[in-house]
Amino acid sequence: MRQFDVELKELREGIMAMAGVAEDMIELTIQAMAEPSPAKAEQVNHLDRKMDEWELRLDQQCIDLLALRSPAASDLRRIASSLKIIPELERIGDHCCNIARRVPMVHPPVLAGNDLEQLGAETRSMVRRAVDAFVGNDAALAQAVILSDDGVDALYGKIYRDLLRIMLADPLCIERASHLILVIKNWERIADEATNIAEEVLFILEGHNAKHPYLRGDSVE
Amino acid sequence: MVATPVFRRSRSSKLVDRLMRGILWGIAILFVVVLILFVGAILKQGWPVLNLGFLAKMPETLDAGGGIKPQIFNSIYLVVLSLGLSLPVGLGAGVYMAEYAGKGRALNFLRLCIETLAATPSIVLALFGMIVFVQAMGWSFSIRSGALTLALLNIPVITRVTEVSLLAVPRELKEASYGLGATRLQTILKVALPYAATGILTGLVLTAGRAFGESAILVFTAGTNASTRFPDFRLTVPGETLSVHLWYVTSDGTLPDAREIAAGTAAVMILVLLSLNLLVRLVDRAIRRRTR
Amino acid sequence: MLIPTVPETKPIKLSVRNMAFSYGEKKVLDGLSMDIHAERVTAIIGPSGCGKSTFLKCFNRIHEVSSAVNVSGDMLMDGVDIYRGGIDEVDLRRRVGMVFQKPNPFPKSIYENVAFGPRLFGVSDRATLDGLVEDTLRKAALWDEVKDRLKESATGMSGGQQQRLCIARALAVNPEVLLMDEPCSALDPIATAKIEDLITELKENLTIVIVTHNMQQAARVSDYTAFFWLGKLVEMDLTERIFTTPRVQMTEDYITGRFG
Repeated sequence: MRQFDVELKELREGIMAMAGVAEDMIELTIQAMAEPSPAKAEQVNHLDRKMDEWELRLDQQCIDLLALRSPAASDLRRIASSLKIIPELERIGDHCCNIARRVPMVHPPVLAGNDLEQLGAETRSMVRRAVDAFVGNDAALAQAVILSDDGVDALYGKIYRDLLRIMLADPLCIERASHLILVIKNWERIADEATNIAEEVLFILEGHNAKHPYLRGDSVE
Repeated sequence: MVATPVFRRSRSSKLVDRLMRGILWGIAILFVVVLILFVGAILKQGWPVLNLGFLAKMPETLDAGGGIKPQIFNSIYLVVLSLGLSLPVGLGAGVYMAEYAGKGRALNFLRLCIETLAATPSIVLALFGMIVFVQAMGWSFSIRSGALTLALLNIPVITRVTEVSLLAVPRELKEASYGLGATRLQTILKVALPYAATGILTGLVLTAGRAFGESAILVFTAGTNASTRFPDFRLTVPGETLSVHLWYVTSDGTLPDAREIAAGTAAVMILVLLSLNLLVRLVDRAIRRRTR
Repeated sequence: MLIPTVPETKPIKLSVRNMAFSYGEKKVLDGLSMDIHAERVTAIIGPSGCGKSTFLKCFNRIHEVSSAVNVSGDMLMDGVDIYRGGIDEVDLRRRVGMVFQKPNPFPKSIYENVAFGPRLFGVSDRATLDGLVEDTLRKAALWDEVKDRLKESATGMSGGQQQRLCIARALAVNPEVLLMDEPCSALDPIATAKIEDLITELKENLTIVIVTHNMQQAARVSDYTAFFWLGKLVEMDLTERIFTTPRVQMTEDYITGRFG
């Protein structure tokens, strides 16, 4: 194997590891929302620090590869997309931290039903599938993730409206409800970030930019 | 694992190196010494005769004190004439072989002919000249018989020199010329020949030197008599040259100062040839300075 | 044949259809078809021995000077067949200039090198030649460096200057197309950069076809890139397409350095 291939493999494994940390953080926040515990919050912060370390290291690896290897074609797309995937993962971590911070403030829960759980689960699924698409070079999977975003947005909208109703009905809930709104906002953003990652995967695999389909007048192949 | 051998130069190979160097130096010095001895011997013999008078006087048939004025003239005249004939032919043939001929049997045959002509002993060429020009054409011993036969001697050399010099022209230069839209002739005239000029010129001068020193051919074609008129540009009269005169005077032996005249003639010839070689170097340097 | 995504406005200058080329018994190029647009730079890349230089030299028929060759198929310039359309090959070489891999200025003065071409075609008036030489040397970005030493020998210049002189020499006869066969492979990076800048300027009035084994150079300098392998055209497209999303796997493998 050429040295460059070894380095590309390292980069890929680094992103996989960083994604793994992100998934762990999401898992922790889901658990914390169900059963708050200061230990879990502490761990989320600890993992966030690891995320930041990964970001610095992987950023540098990408820049070095661009400088020293003059990549072309698929190698170029892979490295350019990696440079965009890395901050997306880091932001996922930040959103998890925000959620973890707000967990004490939304308890005791004001919302009944599984909508909240479902939102968390779907978001986690999107992130996992986006990462799987990246690892497995799976364009179909990436496409599916992009389509899932609408569902998550819809769910977010529903929970939001429910919370508004609850706030109007019972003023004592307002504080907890407004924190909860911020929590679900963070979930929704994580889903967006998973979508962005999936779009980058499509660019690596197929060479066309899948973003902003509304700008493309005629259909693309 | 095999142990790496130790690389050390043996004493004997260094010795051999030094010995060879000494031998080669010795050979070089030998050459210089031989040349000095040779020229010295001739100059010593011819010294009493060498003066301006010698060069400006007509030869004597019976008495001492004769000069070599007409012979000097004839030597130069014959070289110029034969070159004038052989240069266009030789150049043309050389250009043809280097630039126009396709590689194949025809070219190889042509080359064989030229090499055979080049290898022909000059006495054989002399005989040919005598049979064809002196006898068959009825020109008898004359400047024109001598010039034509000398030309036969010169042509193969000039051809070879031209061909070799042209073949030495770097392909990239010719490619560049063709790339600009030059025809073959334009490329030859404007790029190849100018580049080959030094080589060709050197060959020319060496050919001139050889023709100048040629004796066998001229004995049988230009004869052993020189015109009594001076300067005589007629092509039909016999033209004894310096080299022929040297031979004739020595072998005939009737002149009392034959030895001195012969040595003096030889000295003049050597001086001319040395200056010619010097001229080659100067011209070569001048051309090189202009184009490189 | 591949269609670019942004419509090309320049007409087609050189057109090749099903062209094959052999040296005697040996077939070197086969089944080549491509279009080269006017006033664009088209780069030809590929591993050594894949026929790129041979192909380039077919456009000015310079093979015929030294060997017997067999060209089948069509090679057209402005719609006229270069080989069978009654074009005089000497005139062709004026219209299609060439710059070689190693700079090869004549062992003459700088002035005489540039004036060589125009003199071939009968220009002899001193004033005209002076103007032509200055004009051409300016076009080749060499005038300022040599204007005070036009009578000096060309062989005294640095490699990069010599190559620019060779470009000037080719430009002096006002060609329509310039063929460049690895023009920078013997030069250092600074000289290379100067020549690449020159190429970008020259393409405004000239169709340029450049053979290079340096892919970064092809990427920097060309509008279209064609990838050759073993005498065949594998893929040709806009340069940015070739270097970001090539369509043929072999092209991708070559460009990423995984073979060749």
